[in-house]
Amino acid sequence: MNMLKEIVVGGWSLVSGMLVTIRRIYRPVVTTQYPRKRLEMSPSYRGHIELKRFEETATHNCVACGTCMRFCPTNVIKVQGEKENAHGAKRATLYFIDFSHCSLCGLCVANCPTQTLKFSNEYELAHLCRWEGVVDLLKRLE
Amino acid sequence: MWQSLVTLLGPDLARLVVGLVAIMALVQVNALFLVWLERKVAGHIQLRLGPMEVGPHGILQTIVDGIKLLSKELITPRHVDWKLFVLAPIVVFIPVFSCFVVIPFSESLQIRDLNVGVLLIFAFSTFNVLAILMGGWAANNKYSLLGAIRSVAQSVAYEIPLLLVVLNVILWANSMQMSAIVEAQSRVWNAFWMPVAAVIYLICATAETNRAPFDIPEAESELVAGFHTEYSGMRFALFFLAEYSNMLIVAAVATTLFFGGWKPFPFLDFLPIPGVVWFFGKTYALIFGVIWVRWTFPRLRFDQLMNFSWKIMIPAALIHLVVYAGIIKLIR
Repeated sequence: MNMLKEIVVGGWSLVSGMLVTIRRIYRPVVTTQYPRKRLEMSPSYRGHIELKRFEETATHNCVACGTCMRFCPTNVIKVQGEKENAHGAKRATLYFIDFSHCSLCGLCVANCPTQTLKFSNEYELAHLCRWEGVVDLLKRLE
Repeated sequence: MWQSLVTLLGPDLARLVVGLVAIMALVQVNALFLVWLERKVAGHIQLRLGPMEVGPHGILQTIVDGIKLLSKELITPRHVDWKLFVLAPIVVFIPVFSCFVVIPFSESLQIRDLNVGVLLIFAFSTFNVLAILMGGWAANNKYSLLGAIRSVAQSVAYEIPLLLVVLNVILWANSMQMSAIVEAQSRVWNAFWMPVAAVIYLICATAETNRAPFDIPEAESELVAGFHTEYSGMRFALFFLAEYSNMLIVAAVATTLFFGGWKPFPFLDFLPIPGVVWFFGKTYALIFGVIWVRWTFPRLRFDQLMNFSWKIMIPAALIHLVVYAGIIKLIR
């Protein structure tokens, strides 16, 4: 009697499992055919960092203070700047990152005094050569 | 053309030659289609699309894969028993050819209507096990050998209930001739009046063809690829082809024995659909079921598999045989 019950219960569980999978066949797929179609990335996705563009100045607000450079645990960032006139603030003239070392920790973004850094939505980050991981952020902003 | 072939070979041999050529074509097309179907069904069950790149909805993907396999090197490892190693992929094809000889695809589309048709199918389908044992033994590899041992144990365990339920059908039709068995179902399919037998047959057939959830001979997570671990290129492709052909055979035999063969559904027999369409429709519906099962259930453990056969399937099949033999004796 016990065995019969086991067969019936087990058989029903098999049938209900098969019902689950047959329903899946008619559901819409959740994958995207990648090179043909691309996804909109979510705003909180972390690609490599990039410079923010502010509406009032229509450009970035990097003062080349070097905070990001010093905070970076793996020395990804290289930033240089120069003053436009003797009393003005510095402006970045060179901002490079080497993404192949970046761990996306976000210390640079969190500590930027002018909040001009953010994470990009870049997700195609596979490269054939290590130098292709070097990104010129100023050029990227233009 | 047909006349000249008949004068050259005689009517029997000519029929056999033409039939075998047709079977060869059927086997290839079937494998191409089934591999594609399997990948598509698996994809959609897992909420993805499956092959999409080659041809519309990836229909040509298997052809491209086949060309790739043809162009690959046939690697023979150093310490194999090379005679058996080369022979195994050929032996695995014997049942494919011999079993299709007696399967009635429609009223007239049958190569030979032997009076021992069912016996021939089940006698030759054991060659499959032999080939797997040969391949697994000859490869001189522990994974291959383990796969082969499991396959033999599994086939022995599941052939007994399979044959026991087929005996019911033979008793009912009072013949081993495939056409007579189809004739005996012209009013009621065997699947309706002996449903337990049909279910046992389908479970055993899944186990016989080494399909999941009974795919322990080639359990990839524990045995690399089981008995065909050391095979590459076209030799591997032959094993693969034979696996899908065996699926077609067991589904075709199930259609013939339990689902009325080439006969239409009893309430749809006014439709002008030829028998061969009905036959392949039912066969591929069964194959879809087998694929569906594969992508639903996890693999059984070896002791579960053995317990299931010896403790449930064989007693059930025996009781079923005794009960139905009594009923048939009373009816006649």
